Amino acid sequence: MGSDRLSNNIRRLRFENGQMTQQQLADKAGVTRQTIIATEAGKYAPSLPLAFKIAHAFGVPIDAVFQYENENLSTPSQNNSTEDEK
Amino acid sequence: MSKLQKSAWFNLGIVTLGGLFAMLCFVLAANRIEKGFNYINVILCLIMMCIFVPVALIIHKKKSYEAGFDEREKMIEQRATTLSLSCSIIFLYLASFIPFVALGGGNVIKVIYLPVIFICTAFTGQFIKSMAIVRQCALEEEDG
Repeated sequence: MGSDRLSNNIRRLRFENGQMTQQQLADKAGVTRQTIIATEAGKYAPSLPLAFKIAHAFGVPIDAVFQYENENLSTPSQNNSTEDEK
Repeated sequence: MSKLQKSAWFNLGIVTLGGLFAMLCFVLAANRIEKGFNYINVILCLIMMCIFVPVALIIHKKKSYEAGFDEREKMIEQRATTLSLSCSIIFLYLASFIPFVALGGGNVIKVIYLPVIFICTAFTGQFIKSMAIVRQCALEEEDG
């Protein structure tokens, strides 16, 4: 079993969006500041609706905010190159 | 401090104070009964107040706090509730069987101890739940 890793760019996006504070982001997403802190630090994996709300607060797609990495999962580009070699 | 932490600390304080006062009144009542004190009804009413007033405060505050819980706080509260229910069941089991084992199968204990066991179980459950919430929030702050 590979290791799961959910990472995010919330901190960078906050600074890129007019130095948005954690409280401001929390108000836009409808959660507490502690939830934003825990999500930003990778200690809490948000639900899908919350992830969409955070992405909507930044005006970017959800995969620009959250990235999922798993050692056992291969990306579609890796699968295509394997089929071309055959 | 978030609403969840405030709620947990409030419940913890109320349960601890109420439990201490109830124990104090119970000890005083038991001591006075042995000396032939006649105002046992007054003391029992004080004990009941020490139990039911905290319970009423906790229920009232719980409703107002829970309205503001977000998904993460609800998850923390669910974990704490599961832990408190498990601990309450274990406590009830131990509180029921330890006197039975200690006194021997042929002896009996007074029926007045049965509501005491149930109330202590409820207080223990609420105490464990509050501690679990405070601890989970503290762990997140330590790591972050």
